[in-house]
Formats: sequence, structure tokens, C-alpha cells
Amino acid sequence: MIDFDFMMEAFPKILLAIPVTIGISLAAAALGWIFGLFIALVRKYKVPVLSQILAVFVSFMRGVPLIILLYISYYALPILFYDYGQSIGITIDVTKIPAVAYAILALMLDQAAYSSEVFRSALGAVDEGQMEAAYSVGMTRMQGLTRIVFPQAFAVAMPNLGGLFVGLIKGTALAYYVGVYEIMATASLLAQPSYSYIEAYIMTTMIYEVISFVVNKLFHSGEIRLKKFRTGIAG
Amino acid sequence: MVNTFHPSTIPSYIPKLLTALPTTMIILLLSLAISLIFGVLIAVAALNKRKALNVFAHGYIAFMRGIPTLVLILMLYLGLPQIVSSLGGDMSGVNKLVYIIACMSLTTTANMAEMMRSAYLAVDKGQREAAYSVGMTGVTALRRIVFPQALGIAIPTLGNNIIILFKETSLAFTIGVLDFLGRARTLSAASYGANRLEVYIAAGLIFWFFCFSFEKITKLIEKAYTKGRKKAAS
Repeated sequence: MIDFDFMMEAFPKILLAIPVTIGISLAAAALGWIFGLFIALVRKYKVPVLSQILAVFVSFMRGVPLIILLYISYYALPILFYDYGQSIGITIDVTKIPAVAYAILALMLDQAAYSSEVFRSALGAVDEGQMEAAYSVGMTRMQGLTRIVFPQAFAVAMPNLGGLFVGLIKGTALAYYVGVYEIMATASLLAQPSYSYIEAYIMTTMIYEVISFVVNKLFHSGEIRLKKFRTGIAG
Repeated sequence: MVNTFHPSTIPSYIPKLLTALPTTMIILLLSLAISLIFGVLIAVAALNKRKALNVFAHGYIAFMRGIPTLVLILMLYLGLPQIVSSLGGDMSGVNKLVYIIACMSLTTTANMAEMMRSAYLAVDKGQREAAYSVGMTGVTALRRIVFPQALGIAIPTLGNNIIILFKETSLAFTIGVLDFLGRARTLSAASYGANRLEVYIAAGLIFWFFCFSFEKITKLIEKAYTKGRKKAAS
């Protein structure tokens, strides 16, 4: 019923795909969260025009399933690159774009939208007086934000960011559909010749469960370390 | 490579994609109903003091939060029939929709249970004590005092869970169900992929429209429901 020989043989091969999943997730989170923080600041300080455009962007990204974002990125990116190449007078071979680029772009935009909401509420949770105090000792807005507000906001945002990151790792399973050989794709391809789907997906599930567990633990310990910054938070 | 992207044709694909609306709605509504029922059971188990029930409920919620929906769908659709047939059963006659609804229900049940559990716990303990003090029984206190307040707390999360579920139904195409994305794939295959970007953007706009509407409706219901009620202890 369960083919254990197949499992023994395939498991190390699936494990080899873990760095791909983690790599995509880290890249998408790093880029997406920076962009998300930028969106949150633009919307907090109500920068005219840009703030409205980004509000629509966030609404769109949150309303569209990730799989559609992946397909749009997969089909639109080559056109954009090609047209850009033509406009500066060179021909770009778009078939050379690695598949992970599409996945990272789509996941990054998705993370940017969701994390911007997390950062927005976290920035809102930091007492206004903190920024006023920073100004009163002669700090600029930039200094006040980076030295006073961000550490506190980050402490508030931590649990939600952990949730986002677990969601992101689960989302990378969809990168299979744009041709990325991550955990899901590797397991599916290994399963096909012998129809060993149940075995392959049991292993896949186990791997994802372990990764989620570890990520949850890491963010939880990060949360505890950042607790010292939570003193200035109202409520 | 020639740029074949024609944004002006995007609206023409929307009515064609909307023919898949009934399929998506069937998946959405049935999964929603099933997950609300099982969500209650899991939430009750999670709040129960008996260790076995408690561990099972929390384990179930944690498990569902760790597994990508795609893995669950393919495991059930490709894997389960193998197990059943090796036990002498036959699942070849089962409709694909059943698999999708089962998967959506399994994942959404965890979200709903977590929502109900935290809403129940968010109601101030004093409310129940006050109900008991005027002689209400446990069931009456739950029905008249705790439930109405917990519902008010849960409405935004419920709306959010429905949006998540709606977006997840987009994975039905992975096993060949003709939902919005399934339709999008046939439309783009019919033109040998020439219009694929337009078709997927049209599908994205449809999802956006529905999610946006769900969000607005949730806000209205929340406002109407919590109007005149004292805000529950937060």
C-alpha cells in the first residue's frame, strides 16, 4: 500500500529542494517587506497621489489569488523586459530569465501588500508622543523613525510577520506552476513514473510541517527578544 | 518575439470567465457551510478541558496551518484513490468537485475553529458570571449573553476567512475543475496562448471585484450588528 522503498529513495532528493523554497521565501520576504514598509510610510504620511495609487495596489494584491499573480508575472515579465530592451536598443533573450524570477516577483508583490497592512497597524500602535519626544531632542524625522519608532513598531509587527512568512512558504508550493523546482515540484516529478503520489505528498507534507514549525519557533523567540522595545507602546 | 498584449481586449474576457461563477459559488458555499459546522466541533474541543480533545483540536489547527493547500489537494486527489483501491475500494466515480470541497473544508475548518475559539475567549468572563448570578443555566447564558457578543467580535475575522476561502477556490483548476482559472486556461488554450496575459488579468479583476465586495459587505454587517452594543472587552 505504501511504497517505503520509493520513500527512502526519493526523500533525500526532495530534501535537496528545501534550499530553493527557503531561498525564494527569503528573497520575496526581504524585498517585499522593505517595499511594504515603504507603502506603510507613504500611506501613514498621506503622500499625495502616491498614497492613493498604493492603496489601490494593496487592495488589488490582496484581492487576487497568488496563483493568478504568478501567471500574470510569468506572462507579463518577458514582455516588459523585451520592450525595455528594445527601447534602449538591445534585444534581450527573455527565455534566459530564470523561472525563480517570476516566482520571486509575484510573491514579493503579495508580501509587500500584506506586510504594508501589518506595518501600518504596527506604526499606528506606537504612541505619537514617542515621535514628538524624538523631535524635542532635535532628531530629524528620519532619525526619529529609524531610532525610536521602528524598533517599537517592529516588536508589535513580529507575530504577524511570522504568520506572513509561514503563508509565504506555503505559497511557494504554487511556484510549481511557473516551472520552479521547489519541494512540491520535485516531489510531484519523482512521483509521476511510479504513480507514488501518496508517498510523495506525505513526505512533502512532513517537510512543510517541519519548516512551518521551525519558522514559528524562530519568530516566537524573536518576539521575546524584541519585547524590551515594547515599553513605549500604548495599551 | 512580438508584443501581443492588447489591454483593450481584457473586458471582453470577463463575461466568458463569469460562466464559471456557479461552479466557484458551489465550492465556496458548500465549503463554507461544512467548515462552519466542523469549526464549531473543533472549537468546542479546543476549549474543552479534557486533554485528548484539546490536543487533537490544537494539533488539527496547527497541522492545517502548516500544509500548503495545493499539497492537500493533490494528496487527496491523486493519493487517496490509490489507498482506497489498494484496500479494495473504488473512487473513480467521485466527482472532482467533491475533492475540492473536501480540501477547502478541511483547511477552512481550522481557520473557523480558531476564529470561534478566540471570539469566545474574548468575551469578558464577568459576562458569564453575571448571567449565572441571575440564575441562567449554562446553555441560556451561552445563547443569550456570550454568543451575541462573540459573534460581534468574530464578524471581521469571518469576512476575512470567507475572502481567504474564495481566493483558495482558485486552486480547483489544478485537478481540472472548470472554475474561473479553469475557464481562463481553456480560453487561453483556444487562442494558443496569444491572449493568456489578458485572460489572467481579467480573472484577477474578477477576484478583486468579489473580494472588494465581500470586504465592504463585512464592514456594513459589522457596523449594523455592533451598533448600539457595548464594545466587548478587548
